[in-house]
Amino acid sequence: MKKIFLIVFVFISVFTQTVKAQEIDLKEKVTEINDVVTGISERLAIAESDLSKLTKIKVSGYMQAQYQYFENPSIQPNNYFSLRRARVKFTYEMTDGVKFVLTPEFVPGSLSVKDAYVVLNDRWSKAFSIWAGKFNRPNYEVEYSSSSREMAERSTVIRTLYPGERAIGAKLEYNPINVPFHFQLALLNGADGIIINNTSGTNLNTTENKDFDNYKDIMVRTTYNLQLGNFGGLDFGAHGYFGSLKSNALKTLSSDYTTIEDVKFGDAVKRTWVGGEFQFFADLLGGMSIKGEYIAGKNASIGYSPVAAAGTTAAIPGVANFQNNFAGYYLYFIKNLGKKNQFAFRYDYYDPNTDITGKDVTIVKYTSADATTLKSRTSSKSDLATSTFGLALHHYFDDNLRISLDYQIVQNEKVGSVGILTEDYTKADGTKVLKGLDYGKVVNQNLLTLRIQAKF
Amino acid sequence: MKSINIKKFAVVAVLLAFVGSAFTPAPERITVKGSDTMVILAQKWAEVYMQNNPNTAIQVTGGGSGTGISALINGATEIANSSRKMKPTEREKLKARYNTLGIEVACAKDGITVYLHPSNKIKELTVKQLGDIFRGEITNWKEVGGADQNIKLYGRENSSGTYVFFQENVVKGDYAPSCQTLPGTAAVVNAVKKDPNAIGYGGAAYAEGIEICKVKKDDNSPAYVASAETIKSNQYPITRYLFMYLRNKPTGAMKSYIDWILSPEGQKLVVETGYFPVK
Repeated sequence: MKKIFLIVFVFISVFTQTVKAQEIDLKEKVTEINDVVTGISERLAIAESDLSKLTKIKVSGYMQAQYQYFENPSIQPNNYFSLRRARVKFTYEMTDGVKFVLTPEFVPGSLSVKDAYVVLNDRWSKAFSIWAGKFNRPNYEVEYSSSSREMAERSTVIRTLYPGERAIGAKLEYNPINVPFHFQLALLNGADGIIINNTSGTNLNTTENKDFDNYKDIMVRTTYNLQLGNFGGLDFGAHGYFGSLKSNALKTLSSDYTTIEDVKFGDAVKRTWVGGEFQFFADLLGGMSIKGEYIAGKNASIGYSPVAAAGTTAAIPGVANFQNNFAGYYLYFIKNLGKKNQFAFRYDYYDPNTDITGKDVTIVKYTSADATTLKSRTSSKSDLATSTFGLALHHYFDDNLRISLDYQIVQNEKVGSVGILTEDYTKADGTKVLKGLDYGKVVNQNLLTLRIQAKF
Repeated sequence: MKSINIKKFAVVAVLLAFVGSAFTPAPERITVKGSDTMVILAQKWAEVYMQNNPNTAIQVTGGGSGTGISALINGATEIANSSRKMKPTEREKLKARYNTLGIEVACAKDGITVYLHPSNKIKELTVKQLGDIFRGEITNWKEVGGADQNIKLYGRENSSGTYVFFQENVVKGDYAPSCQTLPGTAAVVNAVKKDPNAIGYGGAAYAEGIEICKVKKDDNSPAYVASAETIKSNQYPITRYLFMYLRNKPTGAMKSYIDWILSPEGQKLVVETGYFPVK
């Protein structure tokens, strides 16, 4: 009996020990698995955190490669391939309400910064935002992306007034959530894309990263979007530019070439203009739109008056400041043809000097004269108005790829007497006009562009 | 000789097939993409419509309202379903690419429903309390009269129209960082089912197996659940329209389909799916 009891006791002890050992083993395994799961969870949390940082960075961009043919035989070469734009836009939304944007442009031979700004959104009403850095000037055609625009280039008046489109400064935007009203007020250096000569006539404004004077320019734009039921909509608005540049010259010549006034170094030379705009959209057998803008005012270019050497009183040749009254407008007609094709027509007019007509213009290239004889500057072809008829056809292979055929027919205001240009000349918008052109008749400046655009 | 006849026959057959195909109406294809909230409804519409109109093929996918509107802008879909209104920035993109402002069709109504675990003793909340909870300013159920337990938040991803609507109308600020975002309302409902301390939101049609929280406009108002009457009478405080967006005025098969959706037959399916008719 004792033996049996002993055997049973030993058996139970061994069994209990085995079960205990198994339990311990199982617990160890559970702990081990728990550790593994915890480890994976931690790594997943880190990965999620890293991923959420990456989702705050958005990258987009586009590239435009083109072939151009210039009908003007004096332009050489008169046809070539080029890369018009190649931009990558990086947007980083740090938190809800803070955004950084950087857009470098990579064109063969140069790397430049197109946009570099920070946007701070008001987190309460969500209606206000403050921009600081280099951004598009507040204007419809300027702010309308080149990748969406229906013509190869912006209209002449916009290219002349807003060279390079961007400016450095700060901007306040007001976009109330439930009202289709928009307001922009910008304070800008005002020197972007403008030639600022030193007293020897050398352009100082090459890097454009700071201002050249203490005058700040103000730009304001306001728009309202009116929805016309399911038929379409009408957006309309106005913008104004109120700025000054510091005079580097001692004379300022008026737009009509009749008066010249004395100014001091550092005096403000005013640049002010206002414009009205509209964009009408209608759903008529597919989408169509008519867009237009009219701008008029006074622009200025800054001259220079060299300082006489110490101990001398001799007059030194210089260039007077010049203030020109101008007017310009554009009118687009755009029609979508199905989902893949689009047709666009634009008439664009720019008169750089509304005080001088073609018959008053004497084509004499201005030669820098003595400061006392600046009045002898005569009107020239830089005062001639230009009108451009543009036609464009676009085919969208998909949302990323567009091929465009664009033809611009350029007409110039004719001068009264035969005027053959005796020297090469650079217009205010940067385009070069070569010598030998007779502005007594229409100078053929027509341009054909075949462009392919890839966007992502 | 025989082989020539076979060739002639083949040529004639191909010609006949070509001519015949020209007279046979080609199946109309309509793609619908967008709101996950509306997927069930859109699929139901498509299914019933295709049964009665076999010549029309309708393909429905979700992805969220933002995804649907993006697809409309880039030409990848004909109809974008959206549980929120189109944003001005999206409208500007549509204008730039297609020169239209798009066509908005309000096709159903929805009451955004707040989901709770059945064991939660909280049965009603005010809109303000919901905002405080989802902003992370109220973090424990005891602060609104419940158990001393931390609140677990579940919501939708930011491409969702429901996310945007709930944020603009209830949260009125940023969602709490602790709010777990899930892909689709069904996933939110599942998460709330499993977690006694959870709260989530989504379309009324998905509210199965969970407790529906009654919602009060403010402390002094009565609490309501989303129902045909409370939505029609504007008593339920978190009510919204569900939209379909098109690039242009609909024509042909698309017009027939939209007209049918707005007809009593189409609106009957709205009710059957758990949503509310527009009229």
